[in-house]
Amino acid sequence: MKRLLLGLAFAGTLAVSAAQAQTIVFTSWGGTTQDAQSAFWAKPFSDATGTVVAQDGPTDYGKIKAMVEAGSVVWDVVDVEYDYALQAAEQGLLEPLDFTIIDKSRLDPRFVSDYAVGSFYYSFVLGWNPANFTGDQPATLADLFDTTKFPGKRTFYKWAAPGVIEAALLADGVAPDQLYPLDLDRAFAKLDTIKSEIIWWDGGAQSQQLLASGEAPIGFFWNGRLAALEMSGVDVGISWQQNVTAADALVVPKGTTNKDAAMKFIAEATSPEGQAAFAAASGYAPINLDSADLMDAAVRATLPDAQTAEQVNADLAYWATNRDEIGNRWYAWQAQ
Amino acid sequence: MLGAAVVSSRRSGLGFAMPATVLLVAFFVVPVALLLARSVTEPVLGMQNYATLLGSTTYLRIFFNTFMVAGLVTIITVLIAFPVSWALAIMPKPLAAILFGIIILSMWTNLLARTYAWMVMLQQTGVVNRILQALGVIEQPLQLTNSLVGVTIGMVYIMIPFMVLPLYGVIRKIDPMTLQAASLCGATRWQALTRVLLPLAMSGIASGALMVFVMSLGYFVTPALLGGTANMMVAELIVQQVQSLVNWGMGGAAAFVLLVVTLALYAVQLRLFEPVGSR
Repeated sequence: MKRLLLGLAFAGTLAVSAAQAQTIVFTSWGGTTQDAQSAFWAKPFSDATGTVVAQDGPTDYGKIKAMVEAGSVVWDVVDVEYDYALQAAEQGLLEPLDFTIIDKSRLDPRFVSDYAVGSFYYSFVLGWNPANFTGDQPATLADLFDTTKFPGKRTFYKWAAPGVIEAALLADGVAPDQLYPLDLDRAFAKLDTIKSEIIWWDGGAQSQQLLASGEAPIGFFWNGRLAALEMSGVDVGISWQQNVTAADALVVPKGTTNKDAAMKFIAEATSPEGQAAFAAASGYAPINLDSADLMDAAVRATLPDAQTAEQVNADLAYWATNRDEIGNRWYAWQAQ
Repeated sequence: MLGAAVVSSRRSGLGFAMPATVLLVAFFVVPVALLLARSVTEPVLGMQNYATLLGSTTYLRIFFNTFMVAGLVTIITVLIAFPVSWALAIMPKPLAAILFGIIILSMWTNLLARTYAWMVMLQQTGVVNRILQALGVIEQPLQLTNSLVGVTIGMVYIMIPFMVLPLYGVIRKIDPMTLQAASLCGATRWQALTRVLLPLAMSGIASGALMVFVMSLGYFVTPALLGGTANMMVAELIVQQVQSLVNWGMGGAAAFVLLVVTLALYAVQLRLFEPVGSR
């Protein structure tokens, strides 16, 4: 219902503004992340080009497929998970990016492909509520799975995505460079040991709530959400040991009528300035290698790209290929 | 003459139904048919999606769960909504208006916000557990979220207006004098309730129960937030398949099985309660 109303309101604004200026639609996941994208990507872009950027969301992969198949694409630029972007490109759902408009020479090569560029990259990190643990504080991923040493509920991301499976394997002693191909049997066996203690978080706000209230005193979180909790004055423990990185990507659904403007918007979003400002506001790392110089050193130190020593890069190409298989097992295991 | 008049009024009646029918076909029948088609054509032509769905104990359990929760929610909702509706019908008008306003307001409040509120209240560190502990009722906090208990509480709360509205409509028309008459004839309070009040209200209970049951079958937000993955319901399975795995074949098959079972139940209900409605 809410979406329908949003849609109607949105259709209304489209009709009104079409006569005045070109409008493109940017879709992302909502919350503070999209607020920052709107403020630091969309606004400067509109100011510079006069193109209106309408915000929509949340991102929905089923909807992207439906739009492209039906030939009525209303989302021009979409923020998606990077592994999904690679898969969607494979399935012919995306427009190739125009690198004469988007300057990819200074973008982190880990997050550049023909059909997608990173929008930001993030780490899954171990987080805990210090109030719940007197004495020893958790430090490693092994601690996250140790319910004797650190009793209580643990919270993990609910949807099948890079992160939790890697954490289970790392906690079980797999070396970071031996992670792929993922040993799913071993990962699920490890997760089985704490299954009754798991509370799943569905979105970032829920993860923050679970941790701050002590409902789940320990868990595996998007680093930006922990940073936001800290900024709001909540005492949070963060360990960057074996933080697992993955990225979001900007993609253009195939068949958009605003291709040119969409490419220009992506160019703005991945510019040094756009990436630096977004990173400072969101706690996620910039994918433009020149952004670091534009940022406050203290802020930089809190971002995933300052934690590369302990970093484990999720193999997003592996995920793109095996997304469906892993997903099917993941959801079946969850429901058992 | 009379016959002709009846026929023509029937015709104009059909005319009135046309726009609604067109809308229903365009926005419900056609999409459902397309989804159904996908369930037997994706990823390849055949019944493999149904075979997977009905051949897996995990998926069958999800279906069982869905119907069990929907049934439980319906029963509890009737038990709560009946006295509420009766109270609404007999209490002084201004008071009834206030109570009615509260019920309607809760219905108009954003579903997600209400579910989130329950999540916060029911969790181990939430106000419900805190109060029970302070009163000495329990020692350890109860596991109210991530469980069937949480899903049931949240869904009952959300469904109550949908039961009260049809029930109140029927109960309001029952003359309180009939109860007095029953007691004058020697009926106990229990007999007056079960042999006079309940039968008179039965059509309202039946339509309210059907509405609540069918809505509960398809509920997504509340079970997803208040339940754990171990007691997942079908709507969430469909969302996983369509949104996350982009596997519309399986999603379509799950939706179709749900639709068929729901229609079958509806048919049974119609058969059972038709006499009441047509009396």
